[in-house]
Amino acid sequence: MRNARSARIGCDRAFWPLAKERDDFTVHHTLLTAAFLCLLAALVPRVSAAEDSCSSPSPECAVVGRFELSVSLGAGQRSNPVQGRSDIPLVVIPHISWYGKRFFLENLELGFTAFENEQNTLNFIVTPGYDRVFFYRNDLQNIFIAGGSALTSTGGGGYVAVDVPASGREFEVRDRHTTFLAGPEWSFDYRGITGQLNALREVTNEHEGYEVRAALAAPLIQSKGSLVASAGFTWKSREIVRYYYGVDGLYEPGSAFNPFVKLRYSHPLSERWTLNAFAHYEQLANAIADSPIITEDHVTTVFAGVVFKIR
Amino acid sequence: MLRLYLQASFSRFADAASKAGCVALALLLSFVSSNSVVAAASGKSGEGIKLELSPRVCTLSADDENCDTVVTAQWSAPKDESLCLLIVGQPQIRQCWENHTEGVYTVRLTFDRDLLVELRDLQLQKVLASEAIAVIKEALRLRRKRRQPWDILS
Repeated sequence: MRNARSARIGCDRAFWPLAKERDDFTVHHTLLTAAFLCLLAALVPRVSAAEDSCSSPSPECAVVGRFELSVSLGAGQRSNPVQGRSDIPLVVIPHISWYGKRFFLENLELGFTAFENEQNTLNFIVTPGYDRVFFYRNDLQNIFIAGGSALTSTGGGGYVAVDVPASGREFEVRDRHTTFLAGPEWSFDYRGITGQLNALREVTNEHEGYEVRAALAAPLIQSKGSLVASAGFTWKSREIVRYYYGVDGLYEPGSAFNPFVKLRYSHPLSERWTLNAFAHYEQLANAIADSPIITEDHVTTVFAGVVFKIR
Repeated sequence: MLRLYLQASFSRFADAASKAGCVALALLLSFVSSNSVVAAASGKSGEGIKLELSPRVCTLSADDENCDTVVTAQWSAPKDESLCLLIVGQPQIRQCWENHTEGVYTVRLTFDRDLLVELRDLQLQKVLASEAIAVIKEALRLRRKRRQPWDILS
C-alpha cells in the first residue's frame, strides 16, 4: 500500500498537457550518441585483446572468493537538478566487491555469470533502481555512488520541495520505494573498447518498468596512467519515468533517453594508492527535464582524489 | 736329528711370530687409523649439527597474504659449539650460543615467502646448518572483473 503524500506544484506548469506520451528516444539523441561513439572509436589506439588473460590480481582481475574493499577520498560534486536542492559534495566513496566462481557482488549489485570468454561475458544481474536516491537522503546508493541518473539528494525525506502554486491546487506526490531491476547484461572487449548493454525489468512490483543501460569505453592514453573516455545512455520506460518524475493529475511523462559522456583518469601511485579523477555529464531527456520537480536538464559529476585499496 | 728338530721348531715359531706380528701390526694400524679419524672428526667445528624448525610448512589460503606464526628453531650438536642463528631477510634476528651442545629459539614472524634459517659460526662466515620453512600459497583462482563502462566510477 503506497502512502500518498501531497505537494503543491508550480502553477506556471499547470497548463501542461496531461497524459503526455512523449517518447524521448528521439532520432536527434540517437544520432548524437552514434556520432560520438564513432568519433571515440576512431580515436582509440589499437590494443591487443591478448591483454585480457588474468594471471595475477589486478584492477581488472579479481581473486575468486576474496572480498575487495576500497575507498575514494577527494573532492568533487554532483549537480542536483531537483528544484530546491543544492549540489552534492563527493568526499568519501566506498567500494566493495566480491567475485565467486559464478556469482559476484559489486556494491549493491548482485550478479551471476552465465557465460564468459576472452571477449564476451553474459551476466544476469539484480541492481537497484537508481532514481530513488533523488528523493531519499538515506538511500544506500547515496553511499555507494553508482552511474546513470543516480541523483543524490540532500533533503531529508521523500517530499520534493516545489513552489506553492497561485491557484493553491494540490497534487499527490507518491512515495518512491526501493526497487530492484533484473535482467541480462552483455559486456565485451574488442580491440581495447569495452562495451556494456543491460536490459532490465523492475522485479519488486512497484512500477514494472523497463530500463536499458548501454555504454562504450575506450582508452585514449595508456601508459602508467590511463585516460579513458566513455559514452552511453540510459533508456527508461514510461513506467519508470512516471513513477519517479510524474505527478498524478498534472504530469504524466513518457519514456526517457539520457545520453552521457565521461572522462576518467587514473594513475597508480603504489600498490594501494591510485590517483583518480573523472568528469561525467548526463543529458536528461525532456520527459524528465520537463517534470515540475526538475529545474535542470542535465547532471554533471566531477571528482578528483585518491583511491585507497583497503584489502 | 736334534738339529733338524730345532730348525723345524724355529721355523714354526718364526712363522707364528710373523703372523702374530702382522696381526698386531694390522691391529695397530687399524687402531691408529681409527683414532686419527675420530681425532679428525672431533677437530672440525660444526659437523654433526642438527637443525629442526617448526612449523615445517606454512600454507596460505586465498585470503592470506602473509604467514604470521610462531617459529621455533631447535639445534643440537655432538660437542660444544659456538654459533649464531640467523634468518635470511630478517636482519633483526640473531641469537648466539657459546659452547653449547643444543639450543632453542622461538620468535613470532610474518613472512610471505620461504623462510631460510641458518646456523653460522660466530664470525657469521660459515654456514654450519640451514633449514627452510616452505610457504605454500593456495592456488589463486582469478577471474576477470565485470566490465562496467556505464558505471560512473569505472
